[in-house]
Amino acid sequence: MTNSTVQPSRSRDLDKLLLRPGNLVGPTFEPGLGLREDLKEYVKVLVVGAGGLGCELLKDLALSGFRELEVIDMDRIEVSNLNRQFLFRLEDVGKPKAEVAAKRVMERVSGVNIVPHFGRIEDKELDFYSKFSIIALGLDSIEARSYINAVACSFLEYDSDDNPQEETVKPMVDGGTEGFKGHARVIMPGTTPCFECTIWLFPPQVKFPLCTLAETPRTAAHCIEYAHLIKWDEVHSGKAFDPDDPEHMKWVYNEAVKRAELFGIPGVTYSLTQGVVKNIIPAIASTNAIISAACTLETLKIASGCSKTLSNYLTLPVKPRNFDGLRELCVAFLKYNGAEGLHTKVTEFVKDKDCLVCGPGVLVELETSVTLEKFISLLEEHPKLQLLKASISHRGKNLYMQAPPVLEEMTRSNLSLALFDLMGKISKDVVHATGTIIESDKKTSCLRKLLVVFKGADGVADMDTAGGA
Amino acid sequence: MDGEELTEQETALYDRQIRVWGADAQRRLSKAHILVYGLKGTVAEFCKNIVLAGVGSLTLVDDREVSEEALSANFLIPPDENVYAGKTLAELSCDSLKDFNPMVRVSVEKGDLSSFNVEFFSKFDVVVVSCSSLATKKLVNEKCRKLPKRVAFYTVDCKDSCGEIFVDLQVHRYSKKKNDETVECELQYSSFEEAISVPWRTLPRKTSKVYFAMRVLERFEEAEGRKPGEVSIEDLSGVLKLKKELFVSMNESHIPDSLLERLVTNAREFPPVCAIIGGILGQEVIKAISGKGDPLKNFFFFDATDGKGIIEDI
Repeated sequence: MTNSTVQPSRSRDLDKLLLRPGNLVGPTFEPGLGLREDLKEYVKVLVVGAGGLGCELLKDLALSGFRELEVIDMDRIEVSNLNRQFLFRLEDVGKPKAEVAAKRVMERVSGVNIVPHFGRIEDKELDFYSKFSIIALGLDSIEARSYINAVACSFLEYDSDDNPQEETVKPMVDGGTEGFKGHARVIMPGTTPCFECTIWLFPPQVKFPLCTLAETPRTAAHCIEYAHLIKWDEVHSGKAFDPDDPEHMKWVYNEAVKRAELFGIPGVTYSLTQGVVKNIIPAIASTNAIISAACTLETLKIASGCSKTLSNYLTLPVKPRNFDGLRELCVAFLKYNGAEGLHTKVTEFVKDKDCLVCGPGVLVELETSVTLEKFISLLEEHPKLQLLKASISHRGKNLYMQAPPVLEEMTRSNLSLALFDLMGKISKDVVHATGTIIESDKKTSCLRKLLVVFKGADGVADMDTAGGA
Repeated sequence: MDGEELTEQETALYDRQIRVWGADAQRRLSKAHILVYGLKGTVAEFCKNIVLAGVGSLTLVDDREVSEEALSANFLIPPDENVYAGKTLAELSCDSLKDFNPMVRVSVEKGDLSSFNVEFFSKFDVVVVSCSSLATKKLVNEKCRKLPKRVAFYTVDCKDSCGEIFVDLQVHRYSKKKNDETVECELQYSSFEEAISVPWRTLPRKTSKVYFAMRVLERFEEAEGRKPGEVSIEDLSGVLKLKKELFVSMNESHIPDSLLERLVTNAREFPPVCAIIGGILGQEVIKAISGKGDPLKNFFFFDATDGKGIIEDI
């Protein structure tokens, strides 16, 4: 999967830290001159996450000349954040990260405007995301990345030659770190593989089989998870376990110690207990600083390649390289490892043309008579989707929203109408559905792009003449 | 901070990084004393990283006043003139850095680094020098080497979108895990003067061009009696002439004129490059103090135009 670029030699060590292969964006990038003046005003960047990476990203983007930034984060500041989230002080503990981060950067860099959003990414409507030119990610979970990826890719549309339409491409720059290790990558929907296309890159999430926990533990982590997932419910039936309650954590720790003693397993400490139960990611400032800076450079390169079109869209000079009929692409996937002095690998990945997320949309064929209500229930059974309680929007217009109650009431009357009519009687178009999917016994928010095709429609009006909806 | 064990406060604050490098390394960090000279953007980034890491103390030396250049790349300097007027870069940076981690003693030392005596440097475990002349770098490095205890010496400079780090750990012993075994390692480092004295014609062809470019500029500044970084586009022809002279024993000129032109025209730092170099330097100093991880030997170069980071052993 990755190509090693280390060539040991007798007299010297040559490692390469490759940020990008250079054929992703045209040669218009001019580093050292900062962002062109005209771009500063209208390139809007969204930073997702105001934690270790987010704080660094906001600082770097602001110092690099971006003027219009927004940041979203649902968390409040904790003491353990302070070792790397340098925008926060001890007296800020408890306050929303996004708000404090925005304030501090604006205090230090004149001319930048940062709008904070304290809340979940899933709670924002698609419309919110559509105004950004580039989305920079400083996230710490696969689920969150998956969601934002689906959002960015949902804007993507293809023309009749199967090429991505430039003005619908919303690039993402994704950074991730853990300890000494980190990665930075660029996702250009439609051209590079999206996050979902390459989800196999991430190591499988650790999940212990129940029988191991219950019968045959071998490691300290098994003992801890036994106490946390099994014993807790046995003893405290009904009462939810709160990882932020030190009493609960101590209880789990004590039980884990008992179990470890029973099986002769060493290594259960309070620190490990916290780490396993809360899924703590070890983190240091310097890795975050490097990865965020790499992401900022990528963001600058993308922005510098932009040109303003008449319609005020930012067009990106995306030039896919055709290779044996396949669309192949060099993803600038930077992997950094500070501990080993081994830096970098740039890897070539191929976009999955059947990708549910960055492809042209999951095909759903319908009769023109199908109601919106029937459509929503069909999504639950569709083998590729299995999307529950979906809310539907078409070209920015909410057709039916499951929540909040106000919107539900307003759109309820659409349920009995034919989807074909609601969509303006066109033979096919893209529709967005947000709902819940169940993955490994967990319910997660999910956004899917659907390509709805009506059977037996007149075919007179088609996508290109549908007009703005 | 001065006792043997980490305090409860330290354990809470440093939890996430203790999970990375262990309590032992954290204790060593908390006893380390760092000296830094030349507070531009890259060094500011480095300072942020090691203050957050929880070193014992950080001493800043830079008597220069605030300039537009400083405001554009140094996050530690507040943009309000009412606040920064009359204060030096070191003083302003000190105030900001204290905020990042109240447990680190951050202080300012005034004066000309090259005039400090050997005894002064004995107070420190790590010395980082930036924005300095060739002469100062050599002099400070030698003073560090004269001391009975090991004082790690680093230089760091960024110009345009390039950066250079030099590392001198003298003799560095450390252990690392290799296939479940603990292996003892030892590295021997050259001084800055020794390293740059290596004749260019003996260096491999693929040696980073940034190395040569930095040396040409250093020599130019020395020959013309300039302050570090005090070159501009008018000097380009002089710089190129010097380059030709320095490369005279080699058949081809190893560095493109365009690289020198970039570094001469825009001696200013580029913020994301400051963060990358400052981050890597932070990591290196942590490795040197904690004795964990393979340290860089002995030069690191970065150029954002090709995105390459290269380690050279010269």
